[in-house]
Amino acid sequence: MTIAFYVASAVALFATLMVVTRRNPVHAVLYLMVSLLAVAVVFFTLGAHFAAALEVIIYAGAIIVLFVFMIMLLNIGPPPSTRQESLLLTPGIWVGPSALSVLLAGLFLYVILAGGRSVQAGSYVDAKTVGISMFEIYFLGVELASMILLAGLVGAYHLGKRDLPDEAEGGNG
Amino acid sequence: MTSVPMDHGLLLAGLLFAVGLAGVLVRRNILYVLMSLEIMMNSAALAFVVAGARWSQPDGQIVFIFIVTVAAAEVAVGLALVYQMFKRMKTLDADAASLMRG
Amino acid sequence: MTEAQFVALSPLILVGLAALVVMLAASFKRSNGLALGLTLAGFAASLVSLAWAAKVAPVQVTPLILIDRLALFYLGLVFLTGAAVALLGHGYFEKRAGYRDEFYMLLLMATLGAGVLVATTHFAALFIGLELLTISLYALVGYTRTEPRSLEAGLKYLVLATVSTSFLLFGVALLYAELGTMEFGKMVDLIRQGGHRETLVNGAIALVGIGIGFKLALVPLHMWTPDVYEGAPAPVTAFVATVSKGAMTAVLLRLYLLVGGAIPDSVMTLLSVIAILSMFVGNLLALLQDNVKRILAYSSIAHLGYLLVAFIAGGNFAPEAVTYYLIAYMATSLGTFGMVSVISGREREAEELRDYAGLFWRRPFEAGVFAAMLMSLAGIPLTAGFIGKFYLLAAGVDMGAWVLLGSVVINSALGLFYYLRIVASMYAAETSAKPGAAAREVALLGSATLAALALCLIWLGVFPAGLITLIRSAVLGV
Repeated sequence: MTIAFYVASAVALFATLMVVTRRNPVHAVLYLMVSLLAVAVVFFTLGAHFAAALEVIIYAGAIIVLFVFMIMLLNIGPPPSTRQESLLLTPGIWVGPSALSVLLAGLFLYVILAGGRSVQAGSYVDAKTVGISMFEIYFLGVELASMILLAGLVGAYHLGKRDLPDEAEGGNG
Repeated sequence: MTSVPMDHGLLLAGLLFAVGLAGVLVRRNILYVLMSLEIMMNSAALAFVVAGARWSQPDGQIVFIFIVTVAAAEVAVGLALVYQMFKRMKTLDADAASLMRG
Repeated sequence: MTEAQFVALSPLILVGLAALVVMLAASFKRSNGLALGLTLAGFAASLVSLAWAAKVAPVQVTPLILIDRLALFYLGLVFLTGAAVALLGHGYFEKRAGYRDEFYMLLLMATLGAGVLVATTHFAALFIGLELLTISLYALVGYTRTEPRSLEAGLKYLVLATVSTSFLLFGVALLYAELGTMEFGKMVDLIRQGGHRETLVNGAIALVGIGIGFKLALVPLHMWTPDVYEGAPAPVTAFVATVSKGAMTAVLLRLYLLVGGAIPDSVMTLLSVIAILSMFVGNLLALLQDNVKRILAYSSIAHLGYLLVAFIAGGNFAPEAVTYYLIAYMATSLGTFGMVSVISGREREAEELRDYAGLFWRRPFEAGVFAAMLMSLAGIPLTAGFIGKFYLLAAGVDMGAWVLLGSVVINSALGLFYYLRIVASMYAAETSAKPGAAAREVALLGSATLAALALCLIWLGVFPAGLITLIRSAVLGV
């Protein structure tokens, strides 16, 4: 299991790097899927089986599908927009932000490893325990999460809806 | 279960977080930016699960569930905004779509 | 859940319920007036239930939420502001094409999120309240779907807010990994006891600070403010400027009271630098703008800098000074952005400085109210803004924080300059204003709301004692 953790971590990291460097959005989405599945394996090795299942079902299953659906809807093929891709190739665009991110990663490295006293992670917490705790201690959180989903639903519905007849002619910047 | 040091789990989350941030900062295509945001949220969720596993508490996984819920709602609204934007401006390039300056 | 807990939660439950009722009503009959009526009824019911809840307070409902007097006071503030935004939105959206009912649903849900924030004692609830607030706000900021600037503002807000939330979450995760709890009180105790990895905890607190600082738009994290304020519909801008910042301030206040003011000097120095930068950057950049919404956006950055000064230099007065300053700031911001929405016309918003040229001669009432609001922002005597500034300065003199005080004074002078610029342009002769910006019809409800706000401001500026007593009993009685 320990080996599984490190292999899955390597896969997750590699796939995530591929997501942010791909040109074709469909490829990026597929790599994102791989990355999320690898993280699900990490969850499994840590003993969080329930979280692993949810990662596969909701993240990889639902959220990624939304992305694929949107790419299909907008119908953007391999060269999405040549301008931004050629921009991406000039180092001036990506060197600064990348350096910033490497700096952040270095800071994480320092902050997490400083002090050195390492604790073992990975004790099995089963779905039943999670469920009991969720509906006893965190039930208000569950109720509010339902409101969040409702807000997302109303927001997406409003933004995605067809224009009213009197709306279409107004404000075309 | 396993004998993975907690710090290694947190470190993986930290690295994923940094890669996600790089994606947000570097990419101009708004779809990639949204994907990178997902990576960042997911890495924070990973950190919670690792922390929960260290204490053998369910709280880490519960916060993970909340984060997944939020991510789903966020993607829905985000993609709806992208869809409207694309419909009106015919571009996904965040720079070209930038009308406000100052 | 016991009865006392249910009673304590009733203000939050009623606001959530109101969102559902508005949604149900919209499925039968879409009507701007009906939706407004139901929304106001919901807010009124919650406000009444505050008195009911006050009888049982303080009540801890699960580790997540604590309804105490501080929470009740801020809940009242948040609900009143929400109701005012609903009133302003009615007139604003009445003039515009498109669907209107969703505005009220999203507004109620965002207010519920803010309400959770002010009552939270647990980082999981903090996260959920924050997200309920922001996810509703993404849609509200991008509400005018035909206006590309509104959509752009919505997307920008979404991207930047999600990044900042991720920072916050990661920080909380690190804290949880080290301390094993997410409850504010227990965390503070554990950190005080020591025996954990200092670097990790400090790094994690910095990450959480980034998340909170973004919401308050303090200086290195203020970049989103002008664009979002400009692009969002004016009533929504009023909401972003008041409720979302007010709720975050309440969270900070709760943490501050838990820590008991025992903040290390290095952190204090860092906060002072942030406060000074916020004041100067906000005010100096506001001088360069010609767009009224952008001017007010930069001025709000500066005002949050002043608010931070109240935290730093306040000492024992801090909770009181912060709350008073916040109320003055919220009332005036609501008034100024409300004014932009009331005098905006059918085609576009009155956001350019020249749209205001000659306003005094065309709409003397609105111009007078607007001038009063701006004077309060500038901190002229006889307004609430003056008492807020006075509190700040008095607290600062008490603590001997001279550098901060000097910056506050210099910045108040800078601020006066651009507030007067707007006032002067209202009294100037009418020039070639771009067509379409002036409203032909008066939004009666909006104007009445603004008049009430202006009266409030002057009342609080002349007779502040009543409110101060109320604040004392709320923040010191916790």
